Amino acid sequence: MGLFVFLPLVLPLTAVPIARLTEQHLHPRGAARLMTVISAVLAVCSVLCLGLIGVVGTAQIPGNPLPDSWSDPEVRAALPYHETVGTAAMWLLALVGTACARTVVRHLRVRARARRALSGLPAGQGSAGDLAVLPDSSPYAYALPGSPGRVVVSTGMLDGLAADEREALLAHERAHLRHRHHRYLLTTQLAACVNPFLRPLQNAVAYSAERWADEDSAQAVGDRRITARAVARAALVSHAAPAPGFAAFAAPTAAAGPVPRRVAALLGPVPTSRNWPPATTPAGLAAMVAAIGTAASALCALNAAVALLVVLKAVTPL
Amino acid sequence: MADEGHAPTTGDAPARRRGQGELEAQVLAVLQRAPGPATAGWVQERLEGDLAYTTVMTILSRLHAKNAVSRSRSGRSYLWQASSDAAGLAALRMRRMLDGEADRDAVLASFVTALLPHDEELLRTLLDAASADPAATDRES
Repeated sequence: MGLFVFLPLVLPLTAVPIARLTEQHLHPRGAARLMTVISAVLAVCSVLCLGLIGVVGTAQIPGNPLPDSWSDPEVRAALPYHETVGTAAMWLLALVGTACARTVVRHLRVRARARRALSGLPAGQGSAGDLAVLPDSSPYAYALPGSPGRVVVSTGMLDGLAADEREALLAHERAHLRHRHHRYLLTTQLAACVNPFLRPLQNAVAYSAERWADEDSAQAVGDRRITARAVARAALVSHAAPAPGFAAFAAPTAAAGPVPRRVAALLGPVPTSRNWPPATTPAGLAAMVAAIGTAASALCALNAAVALLVVLKAVTPL
Repeated sequence: MADEGHAPTTGDAPARRRGQGELEAQVLAVLQRAPGPATAGWVQERLEGDLAYTTVMTILSRLHAKNAVSRSRSGRSYLWQASSDAAGLAALRMRRMLDGEADRDAVLASFVTALLPHDEELLRTLLDAASADPAATDRES
C-alpha cells in the first residue's frame, strides 16, 4: 500500500458537486437516500484509513500499548510508516470519536427532553393521536421521533396558518416521522464529524429530507400550492420572531436560502419519481461519478485494511 | 399564560432528576381532577406510587413557582388548585428545552429553517404567486 491509503480522506471532497447535482436532478427521496449512503460509506472509509495510518505509524513508538512484534523490522519494511503522521492520525481519531459521541449524546438528550416535556400529555386516539398542540405564542413545529412519534406544534404557528395550510404542515411533519428522517440526519451529522469534507452532504441531506416531506405533504393535501403557501407563511411567521444570529452572518450571499427554494420547487413541476436517472443525463453522470468515487474509496480502505491485517497476522504470535 | 420561561429553581437545583417532569405532570393531573382546591395530603392519597408528603409538597411548590398551580392559605396549611392545564405545562417545558438547546434544529426536524436576508421579499413574491390561483383561498392580504 502506498499513498493511496490517504485517498479515502480526500475523496469526500467530491461531496460538493455530488450534493449539487443530486439535489438538482434527483427526486428528493432518492437524493436523500443516495447521499446518506454515500456519506456513511465515505465516513467509514475515512475512519478505517485514519486507524490504519495511526496503527502503522505509532507501532514503533516505545511504550505504546500495541504488541512489540508489530514494530518488527519486517513490518517496518513492508509498510510505509511515519511516526509524526501516525501520531497525528491517532489524535485525529480520538477527536473524531469525541465529536461523534457528543453528537449522539446531544441527539438523545434533545429527544429525551422533548419527550419528557410532552409526558403529561396523553396521546389521543385516531388520526390526530400523535399531535401535541402547545399553547405558546412563539411559532414552532417539530417532528419528534420515537415510538410513537409525535408532532409538536405551537398555537403561535397554527394561528399564522389557514386551515388547509395546517393540514399541509401536519402532513409534512408526519412524513418526517413515517420515513424516519432523523436517522438520515443523524447519520450524515456523524459522517460530517468524521470528515468535515462531508459537511456539504449533510446540508444537502437535511434539505432533501425537507423537500421529501414537502412532496409527501403536497400529495397528502392534493395541492402543491397549499403546501407551498404553508411553508412560505410559516417561515414568515417564524421570521417575525427574532431570527438566530447565525442567519445574519450569511448576509452577503444573494442566493436564495433553503426555504424559498422549497417554496419555488413546490410551485414548479412535480419531480420525476424514478430513483436512478439515465446515464446520459447530467444527473446520471453525477450519480455515476458518486458511485464510482464511493466504490473507489471503499476499495482503497478495504485494501489497506486487509494489507495491514495480513502483515500483522504474519508477525503476531497467536 | 405568563412567560415563565426560566422558572426559579427554588433552591433544589441538583434535584433535576429524571422523572421530575412526569411527577409534576402527575400531580397536576390529580389537581385538575379535584372538585375544588385540595390539600397536599389529598393529592398524596391519589398519586400512584408511595410518594412522601414532603415530596408532594416540593413538587407543588415547584409547580407554584412555574405558575402552574395557585394556592390559598386555609388554617395552617395551603389549598392547591391547578391554574394551568397539562398542555400549558408541556408548553413551558418544551419552551425551556428549545431555549436551552442551541442546536436542537440539528436533531428535531423543524418545519422551517431560518431565513436569509433576501428570503423574506422572495417569499412574499412566491406567496403571491401561490395565492394567485383562483382556486386558492383569498386570504392573502
